[in-house]
Amino acid sequence: MGNLRSVQKALEKIGCNAIISNDIKTISDADKLVLPGVGAFKDGMKYLQELNLIEILNKKVIEDKTPLLGICLGMQLLANKSYENGETVGLGWVDAEVVKFTFDTQNLKIPHVGWNEISFQNIPNRLFSNINNHKDFYFVHSYYFKTNENVTIATTNYGFEFTSAIAKNNIFATQFHPEKSQTDGLQILKNFWEF
Amino acid sequence: MKICTKCVMPNTKPDLHFDENGVCDACKSQESKNKEIDWEAREKEFLKLVKSYKSHPDYDCVIGVSGGKDSTYQVLKVLELGLNPLCICFEPTIPTEIGRKNLENLNNLGVDLIHIKRNPLVYKKLAREAFVRTGDNEWQNHLGIFTTVPKFAVNFNIPLIIWGESPQLEYGGPASSKTRNTLDRQWLEEFGGLLGNRISDMIGVDGLTQKDLSLYTYAKDEDIHRVGVTGLFLGYYFKWDLREVLKKSKEHGFEVSDRAVETTYENFENLDCYSNHLHDYLKYVKYGFGRATDNACLDIRLGYIKREEAVRLVNKYDGIPPKKAIKKYLEYTGFTQKEFDKIVDSYTNKRIFRRDENGKFIKDIDDSLVRKEEYLVK
Amino acid sequence: MLKHRVIPCVLLKDWQLVKSVQFDSFRTIGHPTSTARIYNSRNVDELIVLDIDASLNQEEINTEIITDIANECFMPLTIGGGINSIEDIYKVLKAGADKVSINSKAIEDKEFIREASSIFGSQCIVCSIDVKKQNNSYKVYNRKEGVLNIDPLKLALEYEKYGAGEILLTSVDNDGTTNGYDLELLQYFQKKVTIPIIINGGAGVPQHCVEAIQNGADAVAAAYIFHFSQYTPNDIKQEMANHDIDVRILHNKGVDNEQ
Repeated sequence: MGNLRSVQKALEKIGCNAIISNDIKTISDADKLVLPGVGAFKDGMKYLQELNLIEILNKKVIEDKTPLLGICLGMQLLANKSYENGETVGLGWVDAEVVKFTFDTQNLKIPHVGWNEISFQNIPNRLFSNINNHKDFYFVHSYYFKTNENVTIATTNYGFEFTSAIAKNNIFATQFHPEKSQTDGLQILKNFWEF
Repeated sequence: MKICTKCVMPNTKPDLHFDENGVCDACKSQESKNKEIDWEAREKEFLKLVKSYKSHPDYDCVIGVSGGKDSTYQVLKVLELGLNPLCICFEPTIPTEIGRKNLENLNNLGVDLIHIKRNPLVYKKLAREAFVRTGDNEWQNHLGIFTTVPKFAVNFNIPLIIWGESPQLEYGGPASSKTRNTLDRQWLEEFGGLLGNRISDMIGVDGLTQKDLSLYTYAKDEDIHRVGVTGLFLGYYFKWDLREVLKKSKEHGFEVSDRAVETTYENFENLDCYSNHLHDYLKYVKYGFGRATDNACLDIRLGYIKREEAVRLVNKYDGIPPKKAIKKYLEYTGFTQKEFDKIVDSYTNKRIFRRDENGKFIKDIDDSLVRKEEYLVK
Repeated sequence: MLKHRVIPCVLLKDWQLVKSVQFDSFRTIGHPTSTARIYNSRNVDELIVLDIDASLNQEEINTEIITDIANECFMPLTIGGGINSIEDIYKVLKAGADKVSINSKAIEDKEFIREASSIFGSQCIVCSIDVKKQNNSYKVYNRKEGVLNIDPLKLALEYEKYGAGEILLTSVDNDGTTNGYDLELLQYFQKKVTIPIIINGGAGVPQHCVEAIQNGADAVAAAYIFHFSQYTPNDIKQEMANHDIDVRILHNKGVDNEQ
């Protein structure tokens, strides 16, 4: 379930040859990796474990420094752990936790669904080349990425400023869906592809 | 799929309705043309209207022309009525030799003609994008005609525009359109075939700016009102008879092709542009009927052929890809055959045409699509 | 700031995209592929397509066309029409939709909404309510059964309880009339429903969309204005922005007043 085909379609649109795979050999041969995801954190990690992919991902991403782009749940999986439906351990590549939105005083709906702006942190990261600041992207999530590491490259306001995109060496990730965010979203995929 | 019991138009044509006897809108319209409409009264109405517009010291009206049989006829009719027209030609996408000759001929009838040589770089960008985006390779040309004619009307301060046949009256269309005698901005938005795309949506395509597209931008409302621009359909006021139009035009120098035009069996329409033949073919891939069907239906309605003959003509001529036109189109636009095929495939009707087990459309020996059994024209 | 959305909502009939007037006469908008392509290049916020053939004539859901449309959309796509089972939802999502819109099935079986939202997530489930005014009160309308003795506000609140993510609220009386949205209907709903409401039916000029948001709608849906008028989605958003409504505006490269 989810957006595998949408991501593939978007990548094809920008001229990239994308393969959907959960096969260790294919992943091992890849130049770049995209980790999409829609749904629960627990299910996501279970899926990776059952298919025995954690080892190869660690090797490709942490050791070989293969560029990786995480999308939505794919970004959240990079954290140490998530508090969705109990505690689940994540990939641990970024010192972060995944926490649910709670709005005691504000009248804001959960999940956070729709078009919202991102604000670049400091000098815009190369992931955002050819994209103006404060452009809208499509979000759909109930949990957000909370980190103390200096990896946040964009934030979004929904009651407060939360991390909407990160970059750490060869690892990039967005909480929003670039494959559903039309021109600007496709530009992000293009930028990642052209690194 | 249903086919009209009188002509051979299928109900895959958008917005075409059939009555309880299986007769289509366009046939009914033709009947009303012959029986219900008081043409004498309409002619009187027209002359009265025109008199009130003869206020201009120079030109009495503006006519959009191509040099084809219709615009030649329009000019002749207007000259007969004692009017002095300013003719505007928005040049076709890929002009033909015979088209050029016929435009010269129209000029030689004795009218001032403005032949717009638009920016070819801008036009080509529009043409390429329109084909991909809307599936209509002539989108930018329709738009060009419908915006430049009123633009010149405004700039020359000539309120009256005379258009030719009313498409909806001749070919059927949404009910609200058939009683219209005027072509204004709203008509263009609703019935002008813009397909939901507007010129402002083309800004940014290949670097096109708003200024690049000023020729295709409709005149401002306040200017239209100030000048009092009104576009009348000649075909609403005078009974439009195809053969009469052709006869008269030929008598005054209009030349027909020495062979049938690609995609159909007749030789007197769409002579001025190769891109138009592709446009007709695209209609076939999208809706399962092409120009041969259009011609055959009109011939039935005018009483020139019987239905069985029409069925034979449609099955013989409809749907054959126009090889020469496609070649010229690829040369003009720069699309490769592969890119072109991909775009055409994305518009090809999956309901009507057969595909193989890989989902690829099956082609016949003459490269035409193969219809499913239940979509054959009988 | 989360933005208010402007969403084309069109019907699929006989493999063509059409729009209706008061749920009755249909007019062709265009070929699904070109229409989807054009919407995508116009950067509309989302797209809703309702399959009338599947819903009215009990035909099979047209997954082929859904895929053709989805292939052109790089923005969220909602598909409705004839969705009667969990299997149907799987089919539609697999074909490329991001959300599904459920109408008749939800009226007769609210548990279905609970089941669907727990499997697919509530953000994936849109409940569609068609409304007609009868004797000065609003009643739910169904294409097959006609006017039902159900209060649309009550129904919306129940859908919310059972896990729906959004409500698509369509005024049958205003549909295709271009006279504006049913503002009274919005006022009747006045903020009582906490999930987003997309109002549909009646838009003719950008000002109508402004009025809809000002009267409580979270998003606006329309068909006529995008196809048969001179107004583009950006014109509508510009008008909304002029009235301090948060919208997503895209400046095309090449417009002289780009910031």
